[in-house]
Amino acid sequence: MNQSIQTESPNNVSLLISQSRTNTLGNKTGTWRFVRPKYQEKTAPCSNACPLGIDIATVEMFASRKDYQSAFHKLLMENPFPAICGRVCFHPCESACNRQFLDQSVGIHYIERFLGDWGLTSKQSHISYPKLNGAKLGIVGAGPAGLATAYFARCLGYQCDIFEKSDQPGGLLTMGIPSYRLPDQTLQNELQRLNIDGIQFKYKQSISVDQLDAMKQSYDAFFLCCGDAQSISLNISGDAYAIDGLNLLRQIRIHEAPSLEGTIAVIGGGNTAIDVARSLLRMGAHPIIVYRRTRKEMPAHPHEIDAALDEGIALKECLSPIEIQKEADHLQMRLQVMKPGEKTKNGRQTYIPDDNPSETMPINHVVSAIGTEMEIMWQNDQWDLSMSHCRMKNIADIPVFWCGDLTTSEKTVTHALASGKQAVIAFDVLKNKGFDEIHSVCHQCQIGEGPAISFEIYRQGERKQRDNSEIVNFDRINTAYFPSIPALQVNKLSQNDCLNTFDEVVSGFDELQMSEEASRCFNCGICNDCDTCRIFCPEMAIQWDQNSRHILMDYCKGCGICIAECPRDAMNLEVEP
Amino acid sequence: MNHNSQEAISGCIMKSKYPATDYIMSGHVACPGCGAVIAMKFALQALGAKTILVIPACCWAVVAGVHPQTSLKVPVLHTAFETSGAAASGVRAALDMKGDTETTVVAWAGDGGTFDIGFQSLSGACERNENFLYVCYDNEAYMNTGVQRSSATPYGAQTTTTPKNAWKSHRKKNIIDALAAHRIPYAATVNIAYPDDMMRKFKKAKDIQGTRFIHAYASCPTGWRIPSDQTVAISRLAVQTNLFPLYEVDKGTDYTINYHGNRPVAEYLKIQGRFKHLTEKDHADIQDMVDEDWQLLKGKAA
Amino acid sequence: MKQVLEGSHAVSEAVRLARAKVISAYPITPQTHIVEALSEYCADGSMDARFICVESEHSAMASCIGASSAGVRTFTASSSHGLALMHELLHWASGARLPIVMAEVNRALGPGWNIWMDQSDSLSQRDTGWIQLYCETGQEVLDTTLQAYRLAETVNLPVMVVLDAFFLSHTYEPVDIPDQKSVDTFLPSFVPRISLDQQEPNAIGQMAPPAYYMEMRHSIQMAMQAVLPHFIDVEREFNNVFGRTYGPVTPYACDDAEYIFVMAGTSASTCRQAIKTLRDQGHKVGVLKLKMFRPFPYQYIRKNLEKAKKVIVLDRNCSFGAGGIFAQEIRSAMYACKAHPQIFSYISGLGGRDITVDHFFEMLDRTEKSGYPENESVWIGLNP
Repeated sequence: MNQSIQTESPNNVSLLISQSRTNTLGNKTGTWRFVRPKYQEKTAPCSNACPLGIDIATVEMFASRKDYQSAFHKLLMENPFPAICGRVCFHPCESACNRQFLDQSVGIHYIERFLGDWGLTSKQSHISYPKLNGAKLGIVGAGPAGLATAYFARCLGYQCDIFEKSDQPGGLLTMGIPSYRLPDQTLQNELQRLNIDGIQFKYKQSISVDQLDAMKQSYDAFFLCCGDAQSISLNISGDAYAIDGLNLLRQIRIHEAPSLEGTIAVIGGGNTAIDVARSLLRMGAHPIIVYRRTRKEMPAHPHEIDAALDEGIALKECLSPIEIQKEADHLQMRLQVMKPGEKTKNGRQTYIPDDNPSETMPINHVVSAIGTEMEIMWQNDQWDLSMSHCRMKNIADIPVFWCGDLTTSEKTVTHALASGKQAVIAFDVLKNKGFDEIHSVCHQCQIGEGPAISFEIYRQGERKQRDNSEIVNFDRINTAYFPSIPALQVNKLSQNDCLNTFDEVVSGFDELQMSEEASRCFNCGICNDCDTCRIFCPEMAIQWDQNSRHILMDYCKGCGICIAECPRDAMNLEVEP
Repeated sequence: MNHNSQEAISGCIMKSKYPATDYIMSGHVACPGCGAVIAMKFALQALGAKTILVIPACCWAVVAGVHPQTSLKVPVLHTAFETSGAAASGVRAALDMKGDTETTVVAWAGDGGTFDIGFQSLSGACERNENFLYVCYDNEAYMNTGVQRSSATPYGAQTTTTPKNAWKSHRKKNIIDALAAHRIPYAATVNIAYPDDMMRKFKKAKDIQGTRFIHAYASCPTGWRIPSDQTVAISRLAVQTNLFPLYEVDKGTDYTINYHGNRPVAEYLKIQGRFKHLTEKDHADIQDMVDEDWQLLKGKAA
Repeated sequence: MKQVLEGSHAVSEAVRLARAKVISAYPITPQTHIVEALSEYCADGSMDARFICVESEHSAMASCIGASSAGVRTFTASSSHGLALMHELLHWASGARLPIVMAEVNRALGPGWNIWMDQSDSLSQRDTGWIQLYCETGQEVLDTTLQAYRLAETVNLPVMVVLDAFFLSHTYEPVDIPDQKSVDTFLPSFVPRISLDQQEPNAIGQMAPPAYYMEMRHSIQMAMQAVLPHFIDVEREFNNVFGRTYGPVTPYACDDAEYIFVMAGTSASTCRQAIKTLRDQGHKVGVLKLKMFRPFPYQYIRKNLEKAKKVIVLDRNCSFGAGGIFAQEIRSAMYACKAHPQIFSYISGLGGRDITVDHFFEMLDRTEKSGYPENESVWIGLNP
């Protein structure tokens, strides 16, 4: 059929030329293709590292746009306490952040902190919970594990009773973390989040193993979140003179701490030891941290150790106390010098006593912070269900979950929160689908290589267009789209000021800084609508239509430019079927 | 540390400010990954609907649609190979005589039709300061007829008429300098990997009276023997190695450099099939040439 | 209003009266006076037009194509090598069906450089699809140029108005220059049938594959076939307004002629002088002046020549390896006739060499004495 334009003169002179107004949409150039593009989101390495499986790349995307409501709710999908975690989490996300290979990791925890603080004051942070489903859970311990259990359980409609032996919630959040790291007001405000219909706190109620049996009529499951309440003793001669570090922190928190002056040895290398030392500094004392291995092996968070040293606190390595003697007005502590021994199979460096016996250290006080363990009544070694962050045993036909520090190998706030989430999901699957489904359902909710699982996925189903198992590597990021910009710095109190106050040492970002820092996030594996694919497509085959972008397969020739240019590996090229 | 303005840096500061529709339709017959199509995309977005294109023989003569189709949403006049400068002059004169001073007349020609056979009519038009925008989309060879060399083919490249060890041993003609010497009001280089910079220059050119010339780097995966998904990446490298610097010349004398590159040319040469025969000594020679040209350019911009 | 004008200025006056809007030209002897006059008119405002001083004839035709495609009346002029340089675009202009009018001053091609009268340049372009109209006088040049626009815009084919180098271009004759109002009546404003369209964007002139191309070429041929009847109409209208007419051919003393000369251009004037003398001597001779060469006016040629015994064709050109071009075409035309007068082909007057009445006597003499044409073409006037 001749589609060309014919123009005839009034005298009917033939005028047939090559001229056209017909467009080329009739050529379905999609038939040329042998590979095809696909929008395929992936897991960012930060999410993969986060024990809570937070969809961090998406949070940063919203934060950079100053869409606080969306960012906040994304956070709350996986973590009820962003204002807390933004201050105290050890941020493995930042260690995994791909941006570090360009310049510096994104300050993710500062952004989480900003959003958490925003959530404490904004009406837009309101969370709505579903109607109660009739089942009721008993939670022992109102620390982070127990609180998280209650939060996630309530999100699924469970009614929760939390039994707390003290008179306030928080556990170690309140009693173990000093206010210069986690201000009291912030903590209290954030804990208020769980002051909702369906969650009831029962303070000054200590629950023991025997009581569980009596309570089983009223509850569909129990979650033991009471933590490791038992401090480990130094177990040396004169250890009665040692002050319990964790208890000291509790006393400081409730303003009942004894007056401690002079040189104080703090034994231990974990976060508690650091917290004790820094608290003693502010109380006017002169703390010295004494640790039996080197700084490299200290289990405390590296940035916490840095903070302590920046404040001028001394660290004595490779020393282990062997005796404490009381002198007239001071204590004399004898310490064994330690040296590196063999490496274990996993490559861990062991330390053994050095041949020459000891050093002595005259001190005014000694504080012991070498760790805690669970109370004997919670010890168990026969499990019906073993997961990465929780275990379960049926006791008198009721599933009882061990959560938090009772089961996690890493004793952190974040792991405790993750533990509560995992336990609640495991229970919900058990209740609705049966025991045999627990592992496979949890696997479907897994983020990256695991073990973190996503509550958002559990509730809303698989993320379409996102491959949870594929983690974005830095070499897949198109760095041409990211000029090098160093990380924004926050303000900190000067060393002098730190001596005098328990006020928060580290400031957060303001709004402008927060969005600038969030803009440094690559958004690995997430489509953030930058439209780069559409802008470059030579076929005009990528179009917006009703708020979503899609590829017109009738015309796409499979050149692959969209995949090559996508700054953040949110697309794949597949063989044409 | 790079001194580039945020604007000149590649990609997508525009984000989804890029309009929903383009002036080119799908279904055109360009090779997969064609850089010249991307160049036209950005050009027309900047110029708008009141544009008439004059297209001589080149790849775009076919991509614009084979009778009875047209792939463009603006009027197109196809003309003979060497005539863009003259034909565009005629179209402009006619529009002026009809009282239309708003429509932008744009000659859109390949490197062959600009640097070689079309040079005379372009030079004539520049000397007369004809009021149109001339865009040379440069894929560095006569691609439409099968990758034969042009005077825009860079030193070191193999083409079908500079094959094997007879690779092109003459340097690329400096078209901007040649045309700036006519003292046209505006001449500029643009590159498809830098869409913000490119569109800014097209918009700037649109509002200037007289002959404006834009030299657009438009990579060709087919002719350069690179994978079709590398079109934008290779374009970016050309700028970052100073092989195709981004700069503007106002009034024929005021040079402004928009981007300072600092990557070695070997990175650009090694990944293209048309350069794979080159040795390290050749790379070094080319680096020297690029450095020399870059120094000359910086001297003009000082 | 009658003025004594050189042939070049007859062209420029006509183009001025025709209200061309875009003139694009490159100088070449002996066309220069045409374009110089036009550039003056554009400069002093006598013409409301844009004059583009392009840098070659090729660009001159290219910009006419551009301007005509954008929907305005255009004009250019050239000669000899300039026309040859345009060759590619002559094809383009007709293929694009643009009503461009060009004055073509017949001049020889080098080497050696020769600026004088010769028909080889325009006839070398006979295949390009342009209408070709040959003029003999200054008046005819002016009139034909005006008619050319009407004709071109009716059939959408470009028109070449041809005049002899120097013998016509630089010869002063009395020419009646019509008034603008009358011309406007005869030649209204240009309403293009082909134009770049902003309202409904079109692409013009793109690639046409085998499935489409042949019909377009056929359309050109059909338009060419429509030219002759439209030319007659145009001449009739012109005659009504201005009182002059020429016809595709102009016979003189042909009705009872046994020998008929055929030629185009100013040599026809000289030939008429010779005819008068020969008739006085009792020869039954006549001359048929050829105005329209493309389209070739077959029926007129046949009608005027079929009763002759011998036809004497004068070519001021040569298609090397074949012979005089007018002769070839006339032979070809007469083949379809029942009557077959013998066609004698003579080549003379190349490169400005003068053709005199003596040459015509010689041609007649030789023709009378020959039983049949001795060669494809016989060269007259060569120096020994």
